[in-house]
Formats: sequence, C-alpha cells, structure tokens
Amino acid sequence: MRQELELQYRLRFEGILKPLAESLEVYIRETLAGVDRVDRVQARAKSPSRFMAKAGKGSHDNPKYSDPISQIQDQIGARIIVLYVSDVERVASTIDRYFNHIEKRDLVPESVSEFGYFGRHYLLNVPTDIIDPDWDKELIPDFFELQIKTLFQHAWAEANHDLGYKELGGELSQESKRRMAWAAAQAWGADQIFNDLASDHSQQAGA
Amino acid sequence: MPIEHAFTYMVHPGRSDPDATKITGASVPLSGKLFGLLSDVYEKADRECDIDIEFKSGGKKDNACRDLITAFAAQPSVESGRAIAHRLASVTTHRSGLGLLFLILGKEGDAYKLLISRFPADSAILAEEKQSTLSVEFLERVFMKSAHSYKAALYKHVSIDAGFWLGSAVDKQITSPSVLASEYWVSAFLSSDFKTTSAQGTKRLATALRAAVRFASDPDVKHELVSATTLAKNLGGQVLSIADIRSKFSLSDAAYEAIKSSLKNPETLEEKFKFDFEEFSNQIAYRSVTLDTGVTISAPTKSFTNSVKEENIDGSAMRFTTQGKVIDERLKSAGQVNAPGA
Repeated sequence: MRQELELQYRLRFEGILKPLAESLEVYIRETLAGVDRVDRVQARAKSPSRFMAKAGKGSHDNPKYSDPISQIQDQIGARIIVLYVSDVERVASTIDRYFNHIEKRDLVPESVSEFGYFGRHYLLNVPTDIIDPDWDKELIPDFFELQIKTLFQHAWAEANHDLGYKELGGELSQESKRRMAWAAAQAWGADQIFNDLASDHSQQAGA
Repeated sequence: MPIEHAFTYMVHPGRSDPDATKITGASVPLSGKLFGLLSDVYEKADRECDIDIEFKSGGKKDNACRDLITAFAAQPSVESGRAIAHRLASVTTHRSGLGLLFLILGKEGDAYKLLISRFPADSAILAEEKQSTLSVEFLERVFMKSAHSYKAALYKHVSIDAGFWLGSAVDKQITSPSVLASEYWVSAFLSSDFKTTSAQGTKRLATALRAAVRFASDPDVKHELVSATTLAKNLGGQVLSIADIRSKFSLSDAAYEAIKSSLKNPETLEEKFKFDFEEFSNQIAYRSVTLDTGVTISAPTKSFTNSVKEENIDGSAMRFTTQGKVIDERLKSAGQVNAPGA
C-alpha cells in the first residue's frame, strides 16, 4: 500500500510537480514585477521522501490522511522573501489581487511571550496559465502553498527546520529549544528595527 | 457516468419570508422519463457549465455552501440535500420565484460528480383533444424541459473532503454580457467567485495582446491589435473571456490567431473574468511606433492618440506630429536601444 502510494507520488513528482513548480516560480516573479523589495521567489515540489513522511503521520489505526494524494495540499510550495515586515502586507495585497485563496493565515507563536515561527501562509489555486494542456488533469494539484516571510523570518525558519526537524541526534534539548527561541526573538527584534529604519528613511526622503 | 443518487426539492422564495422555507423534497427513481431528462442534463453539464468558479473562503478553508455540498456528497439523502435547498430558499427573492432544485450525484472513474440544477417555475396551457372536443386548462408550477432558463453548478473531484473547491456554472436566464451568471446563483447561493480574478484575467489578456503585437509579422495585424487596445476602455466591468475579444473588437482571423498563439495555455482562452480597465492600462502603459527612419515615438497608451497626430501620406508613409515642453533629453548606447523592453 505504502509502496504503491510512493510510486504514484513519484510519477506525479517527476511528470508534473517538478515542471509545474518551475513554471510557478516564473509566474509569481512576473506577477510581482515592479513590486519593490522582493528579495527572492522560490517554488519547489515536495520531495517523495517528505511527502511519504507527511503521509505517514498519525497512527496505523488512525492515520492523519486517508487519501494523502488529495489531502496533502502543499505538494507544491512557493516562497516570497521580502526585506521588511511592512513588505509582507504590501506583497500580500498583490497576491490577493491575482490569486484566489482557500486559506490565508498568519502563523505566530501561541503566546505573546513566546518567540518562534512567524510567516504569512496561503493556499492558492494553481493558475491555468502554467498548466501543460497535455498533462493528465487528475494528476494536477488544484492548490499550492505560498509563504511570505521576511529575510529574518526565513533565516530563522530554515535553521529551525534544519536543527529541529532533521534527525541530528534526536530531539533538541530544553536548553537548545530555549536558545532557538532566543534566536527567534533576535530575528523578530531585527525585523522591527529594520522596519522602523525603513519607515524613517522613507519619511525623510519624502520630507 | 452512472448516476447513483438524484433528489428534487420545491424551493420557494424565502429571503424576505423565512417562514416560507419549509421545503418538500423527494428521491428521484433512477429509471423512467424524468430520470432520462436528468441524465441528459447531467451528461451535458460538462459542456454547458462553462464558467469556472471557486468557493470563496474566509481564509480558513471555510465556506458555508461548500460545507453543505460536501456533506451531501459524502452522505446523500433527502435530508442532507434539503439543507442545500434551504440555503437556496434563503437567498431566493420573489423576483427569482419558485424553483425546482435537482441534486444529481454520480461517479466518473474515481471522481465524484455532483450537478446542482435549478429550473424556474413557469405557467402553461394544457390542451387535450378528446374525439370531437377540446379541453384547455391553465397550469401553474410547470417546469419546462426546454432548458433555456435553468441554472446549474457542477463539481467533480476524486476527494469530497479535499476537492470540490473548484467547479463550473451556467446561468441560462442571464443574457446581459456584463452579468453572465446571476449574483443570486453564483455569489449569493454558491458563495463563489470566478476562478480567475479580475486582475489575473485582465493581465493575461494584456500580456497576450502585447506579445501578439510584438511577434506579428504583418504590419496591418500589428496595427489592428494596437487599435483594439484603445477600444478596451469600453469593456470596464464586463465579464468576458479572451475568446470573446474576437467579436467585441471585430478582430480579423489573423489578429485573433496572434492573440491565441500568445497564450501560455490555450485552455485559458475560455476562462471568464471581470475586465479591469485600470489593470489593463497598467499592463499596456506605453505605446511606441518605430519608423524606417530610425525614429521611435513613444507615449502613454491612454493618451497616445490625443498626444500624437497621425497622417497618412500618399498611402505609403506616415507623418507623426506632436508638441509639448521639453522636460528631458537622453542618449543611449546601441545595446540599450536593442535591449528587450528598451
């Protein structure tokens, strides 16, 4: 069953998701043409190993996904990295004009005294423009995930993912988690300072 | 194709009269003349429902109408379908009138296929010939088989839970080009919007027009396409597809083919969207003309015809004249002039 699922996903990954992610990256760049302070745009197809890891979540008797191919909706993931916190909203307003979403949320730590992951996440429909008309329609995902983050949010999330989720000697210790939270607080603080500086600078330039 | 379930409900206008929303419904037998009619509608739906729509979400994968539709598709019954009929009644005004709602659910391969269709009530005269006499009777609440006035929405997906966000619709009662599908059916009842946003569809059209102008080898076709852009201001707010541009701008075959071949995916040709003139103007902000003398005249597209006077000289050459206060002068290298977008 698992082997069959992996084979099914690999076919989709190679035949559709990879080329679709490449086209999506170009499409998002074109959509944001003329929008300032976009550091980078990236899109990628979820690798078969990550897909299988996600598909296997939950218990044997109560799996999280009964139909992973349909239910896992971030098979294509895209990121827009911007310079300042205020740019997130600005870029998001452009995204809202050119894409319909089914999900839009700001991921923030649960408590105001906690520091961790921050980011704007969307589930957006895949534009018809980037679909090859020869592809099997049933294999094309309806949606892709888009994250909009600042450079600091992105840097912290990448390191956190690498250290926290990879199997590097088991789970992080309490001390390591505290240091990770400290780094998140520093990233959050740097974002606030740079945002204030950018705001001051633009006010001075306009004065 | 097999239809597995079919239900019908009499839906009264209930928007201003919640007490009128008591709804009677029934299961439709999967054989007989009525089933034959429904099978026909169900079969044709893929072709007839030509407006791509998407459920609106508050941001948390939430849509009240979709919730009812997926609940019905997961457990089809007179009761689960009645919830959909109640929703329709709650947005139905007396102007929309009495309607007969059909919910038809089947499977195509691995995919679930759900057709939601509403036929308006009509009146008719029944004439019966009996030997030498003719009796006539006025009938109310007649639902016509000649389906020129029905509304429908179609959803197909292998997963009821994760899919059924995107669908397609038709509203045969609408004739105005600026409406296409009634607010009542797509927006109020289905709580949906076009799959293609105004900005997305308009930018797609403008990008295709720009590319078509750039790559057309025939100067007449180029000129025809450029002229078409000046007519676009009349399209503001209209619902259209790129295919509709042909008739709206009376384009020649060559000009239309140039636009078509500039689309990344030809399937976008038929996607409907609401034209946004501001977006269009931004996407084709500048118009330029290059003469065989090496002179290039460039001006904002919106004001080009007002700022630059064009005269045809003996049919073989053009004279362009313009006037204004000089505010800048520049020099460019050969590379800058030849660079894309220069």
